[in-house]
Amino acid sequence: MVLPQILLNGVLLGGLYGLMALGMALVWGVLNIVNLSHGALIMLGGYAVYFLFTVTGLDPFAALPVAMAAMFAFGYLLQRRLLNLVVRSALLNTLLITFGLDVVLTYLAQLAFTADFRTINPTYSGANFAVAGLTVPVVRLAAFGIAIALAATLWFVLARSPLGRAIRATSQNLTAARLYGVDPGSLYAVTFGIGAALAGAAGGLYGMVSNLTPYIGAELTAKSFVIAIIGGLSNPFNVILGGVFVGVAESLAALYLGPTFTNVVGFGLLVGILVVRPSPSIRAA
Amino acid sequence: MMNKKTSIAAAIAVALLASVPLFGSDVVVQFGIDALSMATLAQAWNLMGGFTGYPSFGNSVFYGLGAYGTAIAMTKFGMPFGVGLAAGVAAATSCAALVGLPILRLRGPYFAIATLGVNGAMAEIVSNLRIAGADVGLVLPLTRNDASFYELSLALLVFCTGCVAWAATSRFGMGLVAIREDEAAASTMGVNATLYKVAAFVLAAAFTAVAGGIHAYWSTFIDPASAFDSTLNVRMVIMCVFGGPGTVFGPVVGSFILSAIYEVLAAQISTAAALLFGVVIVVAVIFMPKGLADLVQQAPGVGWRYFVRNIRENGI
Amino acid sequence: MSATAHPVPVVQALGLTKRFQGLVSVDGVSFSIAANEILGLIGPNGAGKTTLVNMIGGTIAPSAGELLFEGKPITDAPVHRRAHAGIGRTFQVMKPFPGMTALENVTVGALFGRDGGLKDMGKAREAARGWLEFTGLGRRIDTRADELGGPDRKRLEFAKALALRPKLLLLDEVMAGLNPVEVDEVIELIKAVRGRGVALLVIEHVVKAIRRLSDRVMVLHHGQKIAEGDPASVLSDPRVVEAYLGKKRT
Repeated sequence: MVLPQILLNGVLLGGLYGLMALGMALVWGVLNIVNLSHGALIMLGGYAVYFLFTVTGLDPFAALPVAMAAMFAFGYLLQRRLLNLVVRSALLNTLLITFGLDVVLTYLAQLAFTADFRTINPTYSGANFAVAGLTVPVVRLAAFGIAIALAATLWFVLARSPLGRAIRATSQNLTAARLYGVDPGSLYAVTFGIGAALAGAAGGLYGMVSNLTPYIGAELTAKSFVIAIIGGLSNPFNVILGGVFVGVAESLAALYLGPTFTNVVGFGLLVGILVVRPSPSIRAA
Repeated sequence: MMNKKTSIAAAIAVALLASVPLFGSDVVVQFGIDALSMATLAQAWNLMGGFTGYPSFGNSVFYGLGAYGTAIAMTKFGMPFGVGLAAGVAAATSCAALVGLPILRLRGPYFAIATLGVNGAMAEIVSNLRIAGADVGLVLPLTRNDASFYELSLALLVFCTGCVAWAATSRFGMGLVAIREDEAAASTMGVNATLYKVAAFVLAAAFTAVAGGIHAYWSTFIDPASAFDSTLNVRMVIMCVFGGPGTVFGPVVGSFILSAIYEVLAAQISTAAALLFGVVIVVAVIFMPKGLADLVQQAPGVGWRYFVRNIRENGI
Repeated sequence: MSATAHPVPVVQALGLTKRFQGLVSVDGVSFSIAANEILGLIGPNGAGKTTLVNMIGGTIAPSAGELLFEGKPITDAPVHRRAHAGIGRTFQVMKPFPGMTALENVTVGALFGRDGGLKDMGKAREAARGWLEFTGLGRRIDTRADELGGPDRKRLEFAKALALRPKLLLLDEVMAGLNPVEVDEVIELIKAVRGRGVALLVIEHVVKAIRRLSDRVMVLHHGQKIAEGDPASVLSDPRVVEAYLGKKRT
């Protein structure tokens, strides 16, 4: 039963990966910004849930919406006050400024929270149950379910709500959107805020299944990027699927090749996908 | 075009820099070696990221290959330093050509992220190679002569900058810039885009590898973590973009300034240094998105309105 | 065929076909152009005109068919090699190098271009200056391409294509958006280019211009060639009138 168990672990972890990438794909698709500080936003969300849990004693799952609201506000202000100043600049510049933000957030976090490892450990964190001979960890299953639920919510907002219509219009044609009375500045801020809130949720869940340090951002950014490319930028469910694909591929690579060559496998996979897959619905750089 | 005034100014600057070991303290010379080497990395990055418009986040792999090529040739085969450097350059340029052919077909962020993976993958391969000392590393013959390493680093930077200056005014450089401006149109005009991109990548790899080889010999010890240091990528990109990508002297000046700032800050607290480095990037992108070179050219005419104009052009 | 001096046509297409995911955009089109000849290409929107030009220019690979340039097959040649052979083109959506001056833009064409271009920077600049004068941009050589207005950009696009010294020039709607005076200027330009021995394929919506300019006219409709011949008879062909002229464009 090793292989099915590995596959199950990969799928559950992959759902969380997909949630990590969801916010990045949204911001990339609408604002044309590849946000290199996305991983740092995930990290901040993780710390938010951690402190809500340890200081106020709030259940970490109940703390998720609070952390998401806080991250939305933070993302909104970040875009409104800072990133809107450069949003139409060359791609290299937006890459660079979000990279700078990543550095700032990482080291602010280090000053504020120290470099210690932290884990969000509610009483039920080790709980699991067995189905058909497979062990299902409760927290990971819940994380997977929340990822699906948030993807569905995002899909609904984008496809059915007036806000979603405005977002889609703006991502396709800035000038036309302006003519229809959309204020791109605030719309961009809202979109980035939603992206940050999704990152916050992903961070809280990540803190329950893994360790938080101020430095996890860079790796999570790279992972989110790969998943966003695999899943494309237009459909939230495809992003989750992309996450599941990466989660399963990682688990299988660790099983069959051992942990020493995961980076080589990862890189081969990344380049293979990039070269084979024709650019999705992304504006040329 | 490089005019006479610029050439004379550059010559004086080189002469001044070359005389630093005569009166500078050990600390200054050691700082100089690092700063010169960083400037070379930024300048080599400039060929791809600045002129050709392909921002690589994986040039550190060439640095690592240069370091390892030199170290293996010297320690395992008893070769002199020069041969070691050549071995490092050969390893790095073959890697650039092999990796470049598939990933240079990718544009913009796709290319940038694909290069991110090269460094990690190569570090892993090297740390599994017995001849490279696996994950323990290699110890090179000890030669503690900072002054000659300094002059060597300076010579490399001058040669690299000379090549970029030549490229800026040649048919080759014109082809690279055309690719940056519009690759499809460039091909239509007869530019062999694939050949030019790979050539620029290989050239950048060669300079980066020499810098890596020099550094390996100077520091007398390398291991996968220090040779394939991915933060190097970040530093070379920032220094080049801060100074002015696609210009001849911008990356050099930019990296000298940032190296100095970093050195002063790192002497205090390293976290604060890194933090301020991040702030510098954010502020620089907002107020001078085209780098120092453009600022120096444009700002004297228009004053503080230069910054307002940048924000108006790029903001919303 | 009007070619008398050159028995081999400059370009010859044999059953060129392009399918995009099941949709046939260009369907088995054959034609040839002789040196010194202007072939006008017309057809309603979506008829496959630009796709055809892209297949000749090499930015789109045909699904079937063959393409000969001066009798040699170039069906699979990469874009830059076609430029070296002597195919120049303009794009419907113009593609100047935005950050370069007009002179630098055209210099790229002269430096590369046919037979690999002029290898010498000074000579290339001189040639580029000449082409800018020729297209009427002589006063704006130091203006950045992204600061040029619409008509001047068209001139620039033209000068860039000419600078690579093409034997075949593909012009995709260079007159769109120009006023009648500017259209007249462009027609004179095109005639002057032909006077230098260049073969031209001209896509145009301005039918009056096509009538004045073309030696022959070819009409595409739903990807198929429905008529070809001298302008007067083709433009009065009932099938052409129905397919193209009957449907008034807005």
